[in-house]
Amino acid sequence: MLITVLTSQKAPAAAAVLVGKNVAIVLGSYGSGVSIAASETFKNAGVAAMGITCTNPNVTAGNDHYFRICFLDPFQGTVLANFAAKELGAKKAYCLGELGNEYDQGLISYFTEAFKAAGGTVISDSFPTNNSDFTTYINKAKSEGCDVFFCPVSIAYSTQIVAQAATKDVSFAILGSDTLDDNMVLDAAKGTDIKLYVSTFYAEGGNADFDAGIKEYINTNADAKTANGGNDTISAVTAMGYDAYFVAIEAIKAANSTDPGAIKTALPTVKYTGVSGDIAFDDIGDAKRDTAYIKTADNDNAAWKFVTQQSAK
Amino acid sequence: MSETILEINDLRVSYGGIEAVKGITLDVHKGKIVTLIGSNGAGKSTTLKAVAGLVKPQSGSIKFKGQELIGLSPDKIVKSGVVLVPEGRRVFPNLTVKENLKMGAYLRKDDLTEDFEYVYSLFPRLKEREWQLAGTLSGGEQQMLAVGRALMSKPELIMMDEPSLGLAPIVVKDIFKIIRTINEAGITVLLIEQNAFMALQNADWAYVLETGTIKTQREGLELLDDETIQEAYLGKTRE
Amino acid sequence: MEFAVSQILSGISLGGQYALIAIGYTMVYGILRLINFAHGDVFMIAGIMMIYMATTLPLYIAIPAMIICTVLLGFLIERAAYKPLRAAPRMSVMISAIGVSYLLQNLALYITGGQPKTYPRIPWISDTVTIFGARTYVVTLVTPFLVIALVVALTLLINHTKIGIAMRAVSKDFETSQLMGVKINTVISVTFIIGSFLAAVGSVLYFTNYPTVVPMSGAMPGLKAFVAAVFGGIGSIPGAVIGAFIIGICETLIKGTDYAIFSDAFTFALLIVILVAKPTGIFGEKTTDKV
Repeated sequence: MLITVLTSQKAPAAAAVLVGKNVAIVLGSYGSGVSIAASETFKNAGVAAMGITCTNPNVTAGNDHYFRICFLDPFQGTVLANFAAKELGAKKAYCLGELGNEYDQGLISYFTEAFKAAGGTVISDSFPTNNSDFTTYINKAKSEGCDVFFCPVSIAYSTQIVAQAATKDVSFAILGSDTLDDNMVLDAAKGTDIKLYVSTFYAEGGNADFDAGIKEYINTNADAKTANGGNDTISAVTAMGYDAYFVAIEAIKAANSTDPGAIKTALPTVKYTGVSGDIAFDDIGDAKRDTAYIKTADNDNAAWKFVTQQSAK
Repeated sequence: MSETILEINDLRVSYGGIEAVKGITLDVHKGKIVTLIGSNGAGKSTTLKAVAGLVKPQSGSIKFKGQELIGLSPDKIVKSGVVLVPEGRRVFPNLTVKENLKMGAYLRKDDLTEDFEYVYSLFPRLKEREWQLAGTLSGGEQQMLAVGRALMSKPELIMMDEPSLGLAPIVVKDIFKIIRTINEAGITVLLIEQNAFMALQNADWAYVLETGTIKTQREGLELLDDETIQEAYLGKTRE
Repeated sequence: MEFAVSQILSGISLGGQYALIAIGYTMVYGILRLINFAHGDVFMIAGIMMIYMATTLPLYIAIPAMIICTVLLGFLIERAAYKPLRAAPRMSVMISAIGVSYLLQNLALYITGGQPKTYPRIPWISDTVTIFGARTYVVTLVTPFLVIALVVALTLLINHTKIGIAMRAVSKDFETSQLMGVKINTVISVTFIIGSFLAAVGSVLYFTNYPTVVPMSGAMPGLKAFVAAVFGGIGSIPGAVIGAFIIGICETLIKGTDYAIFSDAFTFALLIVILVAKPTGIFGEKTTDKV
């Protein structure tokens, strides 16, 4: 069953609903804040949960029931900082995150650490929740002569930022984490001069069979297409969800039962090669991954173009 | 005997949970000045409000020129020719004198020039202060404005709720002079007053209201000489 | 220099958009003594309606259709949620307004499925233009002029038409206005219609500037517009407009400094200051009642 949860405050209630329905294992969430908020509820019910794309270390740290199949924030932040410094030659970075948002602020702090280590300077700002006007921040980054604008924020904000930056004649590149890997962001950049780079779990072209299969599903299912931004471009969260599903099945096979407790014990032993790469779990419950895909927006075609596979070193 | 223009029959009105008017029957004859006197809480205001359509009576009937008023909305009642000058003047303080007068003529669609002239002829002070905000006028001027405003609707019956309230004696004299002038021009007046003396001096007919019912009714000047009335309402002590 | 110009333009534009919402608040408060908490959300629903209408109708039909539907929405909200409570204590109707606000937000959440939606590009006002060296949308320049034009039109309406005088009279004295023959229901409906119309126009300008619409998109602008109305003197239309421009400009300027995270806090601090120092607001109505 699928529950849409948008805020961390509502997460425990949604978790309680799932637990109440006696689910064998939980796949979710996409976001670290929501996952962390729901964690306690799952723990008390003895149900294992697998984070799909939540990258904050706190999701799996200190517990034995929450796992994840995606890479961690420190990894993404470091990767992007290295990419900015080495591949883009950036010296000054502007970081913008939502006030009080664990994901945003976490990523920014890792990015800052790595960027400074590479010899650059960082200016950061936070914007209040539900903010719509980003022109001021964009203006500031521009007037301070920043080379890159790092905004690891959720879709509602990133689309605004890209759209508003497009009107401003900016020279900096916009860098985003996996949350910017979305068709809506692509649409906002379409036809503009914005240079957009995004780190992600999976880039189209990694697995031909999977690509074809998913595209067929999206194109024959109207709701799926709408949720996908109206087209069949594959976003990484789709691939990760797909992999998580099969990892869960492997765990059920390994436990040879649908009892939540048995599945939880069996999960750490699962090794699976998904469309996004090899997946195995370490002691904390994190997936052992070491690469991220960097892709850029092809603004003429509103599509992503693979740039490089960047490592965290 | 002139015809009856307003007929109130066995009117009962509850106001805020209390029965304020407990079965009032009274007539107002066309072209006369009729007054209701009585102490506070006797139900006078409530009666006028019921006629104006601001409160809904529990039972009884109010007929103006034969037409039943109960159940009509206030705007229809004004259209029929009955207007109320409320207690405390209640001019619109944020509107100018002229705009207040315009409000009086809200329902009229015809030309108002003559009416403005008439009102200003009765109240020259208002003409001087045409563009002043009504809230800055003195008490007496506001009362004049309230009456002028009522006149703008071209009423056949003007009801007034305590026109002398809070006004200096000399101003009160002026007000009652105006009331008589309007009446001479053909407008019927129904007024309620705590200032029994002025009311009784100027009224053709008077009703005395006590705790929601009518106790006495007589020609105004006759009532002035009545000893009981003198004690109760005119402040005279028995010698 | 370019930075400063950009900032000021953004601020004026934002202020203008807040102004259009603020007028709705101040007019309704002036007449009903009601803080219509749902007003900001009507503004947001106007944005959502536009998005859905634009997918099936050409823009020159969608825009008027959206405006008409928004006006209808405002009218219906008043009839359904506020009119029945007219005799009730003021707190009751305020709670009703809060309820309507949540209802609209959750309705939007349900309809959009929680996905942010992108506002359609409206030709000409979405185009970019360079002014004094700063690049911005055409809508940024159009907004202040449009706002001033609307305010002038509104002021003429209030001061020189019958319904305008009636609105001013009703705002001071319901009962006496009724004695003059004013139909209170009509006056109140007209007030909501005007307010919703302005909110609909404001939504076109706002969402062209900030093209992502989510269910919460109206909450903060609505709140800030309310502060603007209180600051300027609740019940005063020029006051609300001036208050809105001040807030829009200050908010934008603060975001450009090192204290950017205090931009919202500033607006609410302003509310507290004005309530303590001069509760009737900058252009607050002088109480001209004399006993």
